[in-house]
Amino acid sequence: APRQGGGETRRVPVPANRYTPLKENWMKIFTPVVEHLQLQIRFNLKTRNVEIKTCQETKDIGALTKAADFVKAFVLGFQVEDALALIRLDDLFLESFEVTDVKPLKGDHLSRAIGRIAGKGGKTKFTIENVTRTRIVLADTKIHILGSFQNIKMARTAICNLILGNPPSKVYGNIRAVASRAAERF
Amino acid sequence: ISVQDGLAADFRVLTKTLYDLSKALGSNVVRGSPLKELVIENFDEEQIWQQLELQNNAVLDFFKKSIARDASDEDLCLFSDPEENSSSAEAGSDRELEEDIMEVETKEKDVYTKDKTKAKEKKSKPKENKLQKYSDEDSDVDFDIEELEQQTKIAKETTLKKIQKRSVVDDKFFKLAEMEAFLEDVEKEDVGKEEEEEDIDYFEDILSDDDDDEEEELENTDLKPVKSSRDLTYKDFFDPVDDHDGSVTSTVEDGQEEDEDNITGNEHEESMSEAEEVDEIPTENIGSKEASKKVTFTLPDDSEIEDSIIMQSGKSIDHSEIKSSFEKRQEKMSAKIRNLEEELLEEKPWQLKGEVSGQKRPENSLLEETLLFDHAVRMAPVITEETTLQLEDIIKQRILDEAWDDVVPKEKPKEEAFEYKKRITLDHEKSKLSLAEIYEQEYLKLNQQKTEEEENPEHKEIQEMMDSLFLKLDALCNFHFIPKPPVPEVKIVSNLPAVSMEEVAPVAFSDAALLAPEEIKEKNKAGDVKTDAEKTPTDKKRERRKKKLRKRMKLREKERRQKLLEKMKPEQGTKLSKKAAAAKLKKLAKEGKASLLKDEGKDKVLKSSQAFFSQLQDQVKMQIKDATQQKKKQQKERNISVQKLKL
Repeated sequence: APRQGGGETRRVPVPANRYTPLKENWMKIFTPVVEHLQLQIRFNLKTRNVEIKTCQETKDIGALTKAADFVKAFVLGFQVEDALALIRLDDLFLESFEVTDVKPLKGDHLSRAIGRIAGKGGKTKFTIENVTRTRIVLADTKIHILGSFQNIKMARTAICNLILGNPPSKVYGNIRAVASRAAERF
Repeated sequence: ISVQDGLAADFRVLTKTLYDLSKALGSNVVRGSPLKELVIENFDEEQIWQQLELQNNAVLDFFKKSIARDASDEDLCLFSDPEENSSSAEAGSDRELEEDIMEVETKEKDVYTKDKTKAKEKKSKPKENKLQKYSDEDSDVDFDIEELEQQTKIAKETTLKKIQKRSVVDDKFFKLAEMEAFLEDVEKEDVGKEEEEEDIDYFEDILSDDDDDEEEELENTDLKPVKSSRDLTYKDFFDPVDDHDGSVTSTVEDGQEEDEDNITGNEHEESMSEAEEVDEIPTENIGSKEASKKVTFTLPDDSEIEDSIIMQSGKSIDHSEIKSSFEKRQEKMSAKIRNLEEELLEEKPWQLKGEVSGQKRPENSLLEETLLFDHAVRMAPVITEETTLQLEDIIKQRILDEAWDDVVPKEKPKEEAFEYKKRITLDHEKSKLSLAEIYEQEYLKLNQQKTEEEENPEHKEIQEMMDSLFLKLDALCNFHFIPKPPVPEVKIVSNLPAVSMEEVAPVAFSDAALLAPEEIKEKNKAGDVKTDAEKTPTDKKRERRKKKLRKRMKLREKERRQKLLEKMKPEQGTKLSKKAAAAKLKKLAKEGKASLLKDEGKDKVLKSSQAFFSQLQDQVKMQIKDATQQKKKQQKERNISVQKLKL
């Protein structure tokens, strides 16, 4: 349905550390937004915001939200291809939480917890990503998970267990069990 | 409208001949006008009319007198009822007849002056002064007549001989004129005498009458008793087939004329009657009409008489007290009300009494009632021959198909732990595919699975069929014998050591022999068992932690049980609780039987039992020494509290 009334806009702020990746991946970002979603997108250099606007060609009003989520996901740290899944699939969500939300940790403990989540060379994180079919971004104390609802839950449980102090081997076993049960159902 | 000269001349001649004839024949009985013949040459229509009028007036007078005389004559009476007012009734009826005739004539004039020539054969005087009156009412009542016409058909023409003229409406069963006559009577009953008189006023002037009708009036010969409604037969309703035709005397033309006259003439009467009609009257009329009809139909020849008789019978009803329509209605209503009240006051029948047990209703009364009730249980199927045959057919078919309903033993799917875990492999690398692609693949896999399943069985079937076909074809076209291709045999390979297979004696072997040790029992998570020397500090610490955890859990369990016990059985609980022990200690300390040790932290004594006992030993030694030396027990034994000793 064509837009009613004035055009709607969304603004996504870009932190400084994501500025360069945004510049590099700009082509990959704006192509799907403009071509598939029929929206207008620009980066406002003064306010450092990515602005998305509907236009006359916009057919679906939900496209604006999707595009905004896509850009936000990229800004948070996800890869463009991973964030693209947000546009293609309806039922993907983005969840963020902090390490200190799970357990009040300070100083070394906090660092250790983060280290546990990441694993050696990112091993643990990748394992969780592969088993639960999600994407995880670990930004200091903030954790962002991208995936479908059930998968986000699985990944979140695993990460929380790691924060709480469980060794990674245990966590692997758990998520494997859960994932196989979930896969069995389908 | 113009005068058709030829026809007019013919009519005049005809009229003249008729007039002369009537004068010649009937001059003895009826004294008409002094004119012996009708003069038509060079005379106007008006003048011819006037001559006829002269004749007719005289004749009418005569007929009136004769009718009056005949009506009063008791010998001629047809009904058994005494007719006191019959003469007056007759007079009235006569007047009515004459009124009718008058109307008819006037109407005729109306109709036929328009259509045909003015020289009319039968009907005589025009009554212009009356015309206006009737014409007005005619227009109002026109529709009634039409309705009637539509309802009834002109079956056969009624005879001229009737006093009441035939109408288009009349048929074998119904005579409009009769009905109207009767209505008139009944109306007079209801309305009252004033109106009767009024009615009579209208028809004061009597016009000419039909000669034929008046003559027929005198023929009161046959009498027929009134039949009850139960004795009705075909004869009563319908004229005998041949007789009726014979009775028609007049020419068709005349009949038609008369019909039309009747219609118009009777309109007025109808209007009078219907205007003041009460609902009951039509039924009464019909009833009385029927009664009268019994008389009419059986004697079609005498139908003309019966009308006069109808008049008489109709008048006889007048004898009973005249009640107004409202009074009658009231009476009926009150009768109805009385009935209903009685009904209500009476005891109700058992069907309406709610719960009725067997004693309260008559014997076997339920059998006569149709009862509805719900069946709680499904009724057993009625076994008829058909059902048994059906069952047998099913059974036979099943036997032929060999489709037994055998019980299939259920097997529990045993999942081996090892295989279960094999299913999901852990990939520690960063996935090469992006999230979108992963989901895409999943989606495709899901869809593909469906399609695969659909195709495969069909493929298999086709493959099989083709194989068998080609085999046969090969066998047919080749003279050499080609054996069937070897069917792959299913060979069961058991993962057993040859020793056990070859052994004759049955050896019970378990899964353990077939599977690897890990598949039987899972490996220890901690890995290989280590001795204390091999244990790394982390291992040791891990063990310690585990131990402590176990202890903690035990303690918690114990406390919980204690609490539960305290709640459930207070006496038992308090025996062993901490609180009880503390209370006891306090008591003892107060009494002086026990003393509490204070922990000052200086002494090593209180930290371990070994230290404590070694100290104790030293003390005792010292004491003995002292005792041996001084035999003084200066030092008191310190009270040791349970709490201080960390055991």
